[in-house]
Amino acid sequence: MALSLTVNGEQWSLDIEGDTPLLWVLRDELGLKGTKFGCGVGLCGACTVHLNGQPVRSCSTPVEMAVGGEVTTIEGLAEEGQLHALQKAWIAEGVPQCGYCQSGQIMSAAHLLATNSAPARDDIVAAMTGNLCRCGTYSRIIAAVESVAGNSLAYDASGTGEGN
Amino acid sequence: MTMNRRDFLKVGAGASGSLMLSLSLPGCSGMPTGYKEETGEWKPDAWLEITNTDDIHFTLARVEMGQGTYTGLTTLIAEELEVDPEAITPRFAPVAPEYRNPLYKLQLTGGSTSISTSWEPLRTAGASARQMLIMAAARVWNVDADKCTARQGQVFHPNGLDSLRYGQLVELASKEVIRGDVALKPASEWKYIGKQRGRLDAQAKSTGTAVYGIDVELPGMVYTVVSRPPQYGGRVKAFNESEVRAMRGVLDVFEIERGVAIVADKYWSARKAQNALKVEWDNSDAFSLSTSEVFASYRKAADKDRGKSERSEGDYEGAVKKAGKVFEAEYSQPYLAHSTLEPMNATAWYKGDSIEVWAPTQAPDLGRIAAARVTDLSPSEVTIHTTFLGGGFGRRLTQDFIEEAAAVAYRVKKPVKLIWSREEDTQHDLYRPAMLHRMQASLEADQLTGWHHQIVGPQLLDWYVRNAAPAQYPWAPKFMYDTLGKVGLLAEGIATPKDMSAIEGAIEYPYNVENLDVRHTHTDPGVPVTFWRSVGYSHNGFAVETFMDELAHETGEDPYQFRRKLLKGQPRHLDVLDRAVRMAGWDTPVPEGRGRGIALFKSFGTFVAQVVEAGIEKGAIKVYKVACAVDCGQVVNPRIVEDQIEGGIIFGLTAALYGEISFEGGKVQQSNFHDVQLMRQYERPEVTVDIVPSTESPTGVGEPGVPPVIPALGNALFALTGKRQRTLPLKADA
Repeated sequence: MALSLTVNGEQWSLDIEGDTPLLWVLRDELGLKGTKFGCGVGLCGACTVHLNGQPVRSCSTPVEMAVGGEVTTIEGLAEEGQLHALQKAWIAEGVPQCGYCQSGQIMSAAHLLATNSAPARDDIVAAMTGNLCRCGTYSRIIAAVESVAGNSLAYDASGTGEGN
Repeated sequence: MTMNRRDFLKVGAGASGSLMLSLSLPGCSGMPTGYKEETGEWKPDAWLEITNTDDIHFTLARVEMGQGTYTGLTTLIAEELEVDPEAITPRFAPVAPEYRNPLYKLQLTGGSTSISTSWEPLRTAGASARQMLIMAAARVWNVDADKCTARQGQVFHPNGLDSLRYGQLVELASKEVIRGDVALKPASEWKYIGKQRGRLDAQAKSTGTAVYGIDVELPGMVYTVVSRPPQYGGRVKAFNESEVRAMRGVLDVFEIERGVAIVADKYWSARKAQNALKVEWDNSDAFSLSTSEVFASYRKAADKDRGKSERSEGDYEGAVKKAGKVFEAEYSQPYLAHSTLEPMNATAWYKGDSIEVWAPTQAPDLGRIAAARVTDLSPSEVTIHTTFLGGGFGRRLTQDFIEEAAAVAYRVKKPVKLIWSREEDTQHDLYRPAMLHRMQASLEADQLTGWHHQIVGPQLLDWYVRNAAPAQYPWAPKFMYDTLGKVGLLAEGIATPKDMSAIEGAIEYPYNVENLDVRHTHTDPGVPVTFWRSVGYSHNGFAVETFMDELAHETGEDPYQFRRKLLKGQPRHLDVLDRAVRMAGWDTPVPEGRGRGIALFKSFGTFVAQVVEAGIEKGAIKVYKVACAVDCGQVVNPRIVEDQIEGGIIFGLTAALYGEISFEGGKVQQSNFHDVQLMRQYERPEVTVDIVPSTESPTGVGEPGVPPVIPALGNALFALTGKRQRTLPLKADA
């Protein structure tokens, strides 16, 4: 039976077993390789994507649970050809080493900022603790998220149109 | 007859017709160089390619696994070529003799050697190409080449106005000949080396577009998973083939040398079929020990054989006889897994007369041997495409994943991707060996007069030589592979480099102690082992620097001062030690409930001192701060140095706090990240890195951050609790 889901705004109808983890559907059926396989049991966070705005571990989310839902992956984070502010910050901070965990890290951070535009250090650490990085890029991750949290505050302030 | 320089150039150009490069670059033998008219590409050497449309490609012969070669090596060539590193597109090298690591005579990335072995050759390559471009422009303008300058991909006329782009000059430049040595830029003129700059791979790795091995996609590709013996050395006796074959999506099920392979249309079909696979194993030759038995075997070996002398100075036995006190301690360290976040994988396509392999490998020429071994092909018929690596740490120096993918591809004759699960990656790793250290010191009136260190455990070459020896002789017929391996081991230390994997860091004991006796008792219980970030230094660092701390305590001396007094004539050691101590505020009171520990350790040519501040919170060890001073000679990219050192510290702390692979009846007890814990964001200590300014030749930074942090943490806990821990991982309730 065909399953339908929306990924990065695009609708798909797929003939696939419903228990297939969303991760492998994204990677192997839709060719979205930016989402990574790390552990298969939701412990490392490398496979983090957003399902209806919530971060989920796609390696342990059966695709049938995403039916009718909206999935956003690292490939869908940029808008109108503009990288997400976090992606720009990741590049500016030079966060990635091997880089394998970074799609998942960015997706976790993106969810944090979507729900809390000015997170405190503790909020950031708590939100990012589910994502493992074997290279140990943790301090650069915090710096990158904080640089965006700061910018988004500045953006909000100027967003009134008043200027000063 | 005398010739001026311009005559020389004319003669050179006239005589050559095509490219004649008199460069003293290592191994300029196989890769085609010169200008190709059809494509407009000029290859001045094995690394660079400049097109007549100004595209610049750089062949990266050291893989990118996070350590920053993609950026660092590109920076070296860009600096001398006079282009922005961003203007260069790196690509991963194919297997060729030019790309071998000169230290190992193999094309491998390891040993924190990428910058140090590329420092001269890549700058020379960049400078030579630049010089030829300048000479070509000078000829066009009929001016003196010495008066022309190159910058930002162009050569400028002495008038400072006219310029020619490199792309316009490549064809002419290919005909130029350089006589003698090419002058490298003085440090004062560097634009990129030593400057704070970002990573060239950051964009691809922040947008999900960097291609790792696991991301390779080929037309008509199928998937494979392999069930391996739970006890190393086990063999397939029987398996329920027909049941598995009938499962949805399954295309084939068969035995390969390393286990039972299932091939399916999709990865998930293969995994589901694997759940139904029941293999009966013949464990008669398999490893069957438990961890406690491994250490018992080490102790027995150590009692029986005091080991081969690896460094001997003065008269240690004499020092013991004269000593007022002889102090002893035994340290032990467990097997450790690599846990690269990208699990082992490879994609292979057998085409009858050739095989192509795409893989995240640290040693593509060994990968060629691995693929040749399990097919009817010779190494020259194997093409290895290297991808980005989702972590390496030494794990990907061994090519078992390529061997498996090639074996399956040989049978199915279509593109096939092999992916290991995390559980498989944990349980079928080749580990950092478990090690035992017996330490002894003679003290005379609280002065350290003698140092004895007996290292007990395996050597890595025993496990590595199987593919490494044939890779050095890729023309050798396959029936000779086993012989080459055996000869390689016999020649170790004679015709081949000495295997330092067990003793490195112990034999370079830096402290001024008159009587030294360092020995290695070589014993191997049969657990597969390989290189693990910082290799022998990882365990010797803990033994040496913990024992030094014990001796400081024994003599009632401050651990910093105790070390300091024994480092006369070792300025670089002293400098990093002093710097770390200053940064950490060693002389200031430690906050309540915390302890400070120190360690100093040189590895891979790099000097590192660290001070750790740690405590125990809610029944768990908490690391608050790590102050680290590092002297790695000339820095190419300060940010990458900091990142590598900090990453090494987190890697080392992970080992110190959690690292342990244990065996029961030959089976690995751990499987996934719930019992192979890695340090997480919330545990991250505050790390400060102080890089010593230096103009010495650059040394490695990928590994040297790891070894000292393990003893520094143990020493901090001792300072806090007064209890000495001599076994890893460290415990909060020891």
